[in-house]
Amino acid sequence: LAQKAIIRVIPFKLEPLMLEGVFASVADVTPAEGKLLQFHPLSLCNTSEDEHTIPGFVSIVKLERPERDLHPCLSLANKAKLAGERGARAVLFDITDDQGAADQLKKPRGLSHPVVLIWGHDAELLMGVVNNNREAHVKIEVKEMPAWPDYDVWI
Amino acid sequence: MNPSVSQPCPGGCATCSEYNGCVTCKPRFFFFLERIGIRQTGVCLTSCPSGYYGKRFPEPNACTKCKADCEACFNNNFCTKCKNGFYLHLGKCLENCPEWLEPNNYTMECNDIVH
Amino acid sequence: MLAAAAGPRMAKPSPWWLFLSFSATLKIVSMEQGAVPTCPPQCHCEEDGIMLSVDCSELALTSVPDSLSSFTAYLDLSMNNISELIPGDFHHLRFLEELRLSGNQLSKIPGEVFSGLYNLKILMLQNNQLSRIPAEALCDLPNLQSLRLDANLISVVPEKSFEGMPSLRHLWLDDNALTEIPVKALNNLPALQAMTLALNQIWHIPDYAFQNLTSLVVLHLHNNQIQSLGIQGFEGLHSLETLDLNYNELVEFPVAIRTLSQLQELGFHNNNVKAIPEKAFAGNPLLQIMTLTRAGIHLLPGEMCQQLPSLRVLELSHNQIEELPSFHRCQKLEEISLQHNRIHEIRADTFRQLTALRSIDLSWNFIQTIHPEAFVTLHSLIKLDLTDNQLVTLPLSGLSALTHLKLKGNPALSESFPKENFPKMRVLEVPYAYQCCAYGACGNFFKVSNQWDSEDMSPEDEDAHKRSSGLFPSHPDNHYDMDMEDFQLEMEDTKLHPNIQCTPSPGPFKPCDHLFE
Repeated sequence: LAQKAIIRVIPFKLEPLMLEGVFASVADVTPAEGKLLQFHPLSLCNTSEDEHTIPGFVSIVKLERPERDLHPCLSLANKAKLAGERGARAVLFDITDDQGAADQLKKPRGLSHPVVLIWGHDAELLMGVVNNNREAHVKIEVKEMPAWPDYDVWI
Repeated sequence: MNPSVSQPCPGGCATCSEYNGCVTCKPRFFFFLERIGIRQTGVCLTSCPSGYYGKRFPEPNACTKCKADCEACFNNNFCTKCKNGFYLHLGKCLENCPEWLEPNNYTMECNDIVH
Repeated sequence: MLAAAAGPRMAKPSPWWLFLSFSATLKIVSMEQGAVPTCPPQCHCEEDGIMLSVDCSELALTSVPDSLSSFTAYLDLSMNNISELIPGDFHHLRFLEELRLSGNQLSKIPGEVFSGLYNLKILMLQNNQLSRIPAEALCDLPNLQSLRLDANLISVVPEKSFEGMPSLRHLWLDDNALTEIPVKALNNLPALQAMTLALNQIWHIPDYAFQNLTSLVVLHLHNNQIQSLGIQGFEGLHSLETLDLNYNELVEFPVAIRTLSQLQELGFHNNNVKAIPEKAFAGNPLLQIMTLTRAGIHLLPGEMCQQLPSLRVLELSHNQIEELPSFHRCQKLEEISLQHNRIHEIRADTFRQLTALRSIDLSWNFIQTIHPEAFVTLHSLIKLDLTDNQLVTLPLSGLSALTHLKLKGNPALSESFPKENFPKMRVLEVPYAYQCCAYGACGNFFKVSNQWDSEDMSPEDEDAHKRSSGLFPSHPDNHYDMDMEDFQLEMEDTKLHPNIQCTPSPGPFKPCDHLFE
């Protein structure tokens, strides 16, 4: 069972949003927080310019459908690693259009900054914040697993 | 064009999407990543913005950074317009002109000394 | 020392004369059309004092707006659908300094359309449909400095194309259909400093092709089909510092470069020259960076370093070199790349006295012997890559400052590498796991600290990174190999010591004892 993540998004001067995602095992399961910044998938390539953004942000990358990026410059694992090297405290991947991405991020690689997958309605809300706000803060927390597996049984 | 995108892609784009903007450019256009606030989107240009120059090889053509002291350049080693406070001389940005040349504070260039 | 270019001596207008002519023009202009500058519909205008910056880009315009203010200093009409310019479109824009017409559908430009634009400095016509240079339209632009004609269909360059622009400094003609150097047209550009003719179909450079370009500093000719070059081909280029001949079809080394006394960077990769003649660099004492990757080279001249006292970076990878000269006289050499050649021996004098040398890449050769004193004098050496050779032993003296040492792919190299010999080591790749035991407890085979050192790039990324750094050739197909990467991910999982990454790291099937002893 992949570890769930609670993603608290606090747009500037607006009500916070509470979303959910899943920690990818390519990286450590650990909380993180920082300023939200969107990154184009092609920005995480060795050949693309490093923006030299002040470290300490949380990246959100909206993945395109696989057929639109036939020759990816790096694997998703290495894109996540590069994001960390460029100052990201955590990387959020919106995999709504690329469900296969989860498999690429399963193999443990000991990345010290967490990598969280988000999709569907939660992802739509998050990208909505990206589209409509100039600034937002993000807190990623580890959702506590219930002591007993939650069977859908009424006693 | 991405079916989920209501409007067509902007001018130089070959493919685009709602959140990422241009994903691939038409031939002979330069790909550039533009940041406005939280958002970073791809754009396809015929000339790169200030501080960048266009590299037409290898594919994909991309906007590439000039040197730090340069506002517009021909390539990474040859500046065509320096940032404020620097004098331009033969593609280089200098804090001071060499002693055999004369600084022109209007054009911010080093000129031959007129005797 | 900066070369004092003998640029053209133009009489500088005195500030007093400039003020008078400016206010006279101002009076006429403001009388003509009323004091307040207007902004054409849909366009975006910004005032800078009394001058106006007008942005009418990407508005699907099919013609130049007719309500442009005479105070327009910057006009952007790029990325529209303008297929025709009409004489008079710009005649009242006396203050215009920059005009952008790129990304339209211009196939021709009438004669007088730019007449009167005496202050124009930058003219952008790239990404249009021009098949010839519109010489008639460019005949009277005395202050033009930058002219962009790249990404058109230009195959014809009339002789008088540039006669009307004595101040031109930067000329883009790349990505067109030129089959020859426009020699006559280039005879009238005394102030030109940077020019690109790259990405055309030029096949030959005749003698005296650039003879009047005495101020030219940068010349790009990459991605053409140049097969031959006149011995006097570069005569006259007294100020040239950068020459890019990458991706051509030269079969002989261009001895014509000997006239380039100011040359600092020579790009020559992806050609097919077989050998570099003796005294090839006799005329280039300032040469610092030389890229000769994939140039078909078998033989290097014995005395090349005598002529290259300033050389810092020498890129010779992917050739057929079997024997190395002594690089002893290349005193300033910092980086030398010789990977993917046929070298079989490193002698005592190969790298002697190169005290500035920081990085040597000799991977993918056939090196069997390295003289014990080969590295003794290399006090600055921090990176040595001998991956995939035929080494039996490695002389360690002179290698104490190494931070990166790569020896994989040398099956006969079974000796150990004591940690004391490498106090600064950070990345060590060795043929066998047991050789890594000296760098950490062998008991803890599996889980070691997960500290991810940013230095740690998988070879695949490192190659991609090298390709992007501009010094090395870039391959159009920059996709990566999923299986190879998974293999490397496997290798990177375990690290023996927090700050030394030694691979292959020992494991249950990679014991610490050398099984064959």
